[in-house]
Amino acid sequence: MAEPQPSSVQEGMDPEGPPAPASAEDRKAAAAMSSLETRGGDEEAETKKSNNKQIDQEALVKAISRLELADKAAKVAAGEKSQGEKEKEEREKRAKVKVDQADVSLLVDELDLNKVKATELLKAHEGDAVKAMKAFVRASA
Amino acid sequence: MAPQPAPQPLASKERSLFTQVVKNYENKQYKKGLKAADQILRKNPDHGDTIAMKALIINSQGNTDEAFALAKIALKNSMKSHVCWHVYGLLYRSAKNFEEAIKAYKFALKLEPESQQIQKDLALLQMQMRDYQGYVQSRRAILQQRTSWRQNWTALAIAQHLAGDLVNAERTLTTFEDTLKGVPPKTDIEHAEAVLYKNAIIAEMGDIGRALEHLDAAAKNNPDRTSVMELRAKYLLTLGRNEEAAKAYQALLARNPEYRAYFEGLEAALGLDRSDIKAMKDLYTDYASQNPRGDAARRIPLDFLEGDDFREAADHYLQHMLRKGIPSTFANIKALYANTAKKDTILGLVDSYASDGPTPMVNGSAEKQANGDAELFGPSVRYFLAQHYNYYLSRDLKRAMKYVDELLDLAPKSVDYHMTKARIWKHYGNAQKAAETMEKARTLDDRDRYINTKSAKYHLRNNDNGAAIKNMSLFTRNEAPGGPLGDLHDMQCIWYITEDGESYVRQGKLGLALKRFASISSIFDIWQEDQFDFHSFSLRKGQIRAYVDMIRWEDHLRDHPFFSRAAIAAAQVYVKLYDRPDLAHGSLSNGVNGAKMDSAERKKAEKKARKEREKQEKAEAERKDAKKPAAVDQNGEPKKEDKDPNGELLLQTPEPLLEAMKYVNHLLENSPKNIHAQQLAFEVFIRRRKFLLALRTLIASHTISPSDPTLHEQIFRFQHSLSRLSEPLPPKTMEVINAEFNDLLPASTGLDKHNDDFLQKHHDSAPHVQACLKVRQMLDPSSSEKAQQDLIRTLALESCSLEDAVRGLEILEEWKPEPKYKNDYIAAAHERWPEASAFVSKKQD
Repeated sequence: MAEPQPSSVQEGMDPEGPPAPASAEDRKAAAAMSSLETRGGDEEAETKKSNNKQIDQEALVKAISRLELADKAAKVAAGEKSQGEKEKEEREKRAKVKVDQADVSLLVDELDLNKVKATELLKAHEGDAVKAMKAFVRASA
Repeated sequence: MAPQPAPQPLASKERSLFTQVVKNYENKQYKKGLKAADQILRKNPDHGDTIAMKALIINSQGNTDEAFALAKIALKNSMKSHVCWHVYGLLYRSAKNFEEAIKAYKFALKLEPESQQIQKDLALLQMQMRDYQGYVQSRRAILQQRTSWRQNWTALAIAQHLAGDLVNAERTLTTFEDTLKGVPPKTDIEHAEAVLYKNAIIAEMGDIGRALEHLDAAAKNNPDRTSVMELRAKYLLTLGRNEEAAKAYQALLARNPEYRAYFEGLEAALGLDRSDIKAMKDLYTDYASQNPRGDAARRIPLDFLEGDDFREAADHYLQHMLRKGIPSTFANIKALYANTAKKDTILGLVDSYASDGPTPMVNGSAEKQANGDAELFGPSVRYFLAQHYNYYLSRDLKRAMKYVDELLDLAPKSVDYHMTKARIWKHYGNAQKAAETMEKARTLDDRDRYINTKSAKYHLRNNDNGAAIKNMSLFTRNEAPGGPLGDLHDMQCIWYITEDGESYVRQGKLGLALKRFASISSIFDIWQEDQFDFHSFSLRKGQIRAYVDMIRWEDHLRDHPFFSRAAIAAAQVYVKLYDRPDLAHGSLSNGVNGAKMDSAERKKAEKKARKEREKQEKAEAERKDAKKPAAVDQNGEPKKEDKDPNGELLLQTPEPLLEAMKYVNHLLENSPKNIHAQQLAFEVFIRRRKFLLALRTLIASHTISPSDPTLHEQIFRFQHSLSRLSEPLPPKTMEVINAEFNDLLPASTGLDKHNDDFLQKHHDSAPHVQACLKVRQMLDPSSSEKAQQDLIRTLALESCSLEDAVRGLEILEEWKPEPKYKNDYIAAAHERWPEASAFVSKKQD
């Protein structure tokens, strides 16, 4: 049933306004704020135009491509390091640590944790429930 | 801005109607919008986008459940419509389920990757949820759609900055700057802010040298002069370029000679040590002579001078202030009282003024001329002394009262003197007289908001909520829904709501108390929610430094003392409710009756309470079924109607401890260093039989203050509960407890011995003795009589404060003492605190 949407079309729902103002003053403030915002929008269109004179359009195109290149480079660099490290750690952990479901439910019950957190905590302590709980009990100190 | 249905094409008439619906929604013409939507649906009953819009409108009218149901139908009809998914996200967003909202937005975006509106909505939510990585991605996408907007670049930089990627944040800002053809005009605030923001990022990277360079190069003409100068001085100092730093701080002091941080900076830049009295004195004398009317340069030396130097400087300072009759003199001085020698010197000086009058000024010709000074001098000296003897480090209430009464004879209409007198009554422990006196002060100047506020607070301390709200109503907007109290809620008047709640706790009106504390909690929720508007607003206005500050402040919003105070009080009430379920039924069980119930009666009451609770729940469920769309006020906003003005529903919770946990979780997460929060959490956990969590609070308390009396008692109660378990704990749990608890209470020492040792060590502190007696009572209930006698003896301890004595009485009452001991206790306390109402009224019954 899906049909491509005409390219001229733009959806335009504004997000929900701020939560219902509690008093008349609040309402006034909210009204003032939203009018600021809409006016701000218009102003922006204006300043945008005037700024455009200042902004070198060509430079902008170059800038954005430079940014992308830099980002890619950064991503590659960061990715190689952190991702590599993380994955390695993860893999090591996952492979080694076996978690007993009984221990998970013990931690859930004793420490008010949800299952995911309890499992994480156990894995961080080689699946040893006593070690994990000891660390948790001491953690706030 | 004309959304159009893609998957299910409409005829042109309906299409324009749909546009109408969207417009109506945006303009909050909900009725018209609904009508138009229904018109479309008559012809195309399955049209998903229209149903979704209808859901959105219904939600805005306050009918969330129905809206969600409709939105689900809409989605079923057009799974592939980004409008439907977007609406679904908006509904979740308004229900504050941000995670689901993000999911829905992401789905909508997958269907319609070009939509700026959805992209923007998603970005705002990611920011709100602190999903920085996601936010960086969204911001990058938005920037690519519109590269010529500066705010899009700035936004990406903020995202990178907050995600911890400072290098790229700076690069993003620089990349944009490079596209500028010339230097923007001075009036371009957005640019000026962005420059300083970039500077802050450079400094945050730790490269202060480069930050300074950048500041000197780019911020010369920045309109925020103060920030630029302060940063410059700070950078120079950090870099060890002391000579320049000193100049920078001197320049700042020339602008504002009262700002202490500048003096501190200057001291550091000059390499001065606070022990180098001579150089320090010269520095401040110099500044004092430059600013004959200034305070800081005269007051700061009192912090570091000692002995005769101090006496001389204090003499000079005090005479100067007292001659002018400055009422805040004592408030300016009292911080010095932490140092006993200085406290004594000051008292000696002021006493000599009282007997001899002011020293004639020999060399201060400027000060000599004012002849009127002598008239002011006498009263200000006495006023100073009244406050001196009222202050907790130098308290002698009789003398304080004497001085203030003398003053009132001279000036019976003085608001200040009456206010001090009210404070003296408060310290006497007589809330009623304090409130009366403060009220009198208020009537002397009923247009003064400060004294009005004070008076209201004193009324609340005296448990007179009616008089308090009446005072407040003189300054509130009383036509607000809910009257003055409603307005105080709207204005988020935290102090009043907290004091009101605490007053209800004292009166045993626990429902109202919970109600107030819940209001405080929801005010903090609102503050958290409020930041939403600023994710876009601040960017548009370009005020990004303030914005980033605000974001960081929001991240630890609930560690504010206002929050912990109300949260602790609320959770205490829930603990009380758990111990005494009968309290949930207000009138039939005020304190005394409840305390005297034996276990059979108690069970009966509990059963009755449970039954009534069930009835209540049923009625509540019925009411919900019959619920109509919420009423709407004149602006079309759903009107909030308080269905539970007295907090009865809060009281009747079947799970008081789980309710308490809502507060406890916030407290442990945000104020883990607050020992009262830890101790309260213990009370909740031990009742929930969560021994490991209870142990955790004990260990935390022990790190904060190892010899805290309440901690001592809780350690023993922990041990006590462990020893009388109905069924054993899981072995692994036991193993942890055995390993960790031993540090707190070594098993090798006997319990009695441990308690006695503790008592020996702290035998002159009333709270510690009380704790030990409580423990002894628990270990050996037969020792009760001796414990009661010992408790009476704590009243004779020199350090025993009025608050300690009141708490002691509560402990005694818990033990259900022989009337003789209770009377003895009250008599002894009354003798020591004759004015305290706590020991007067109770003596009679």
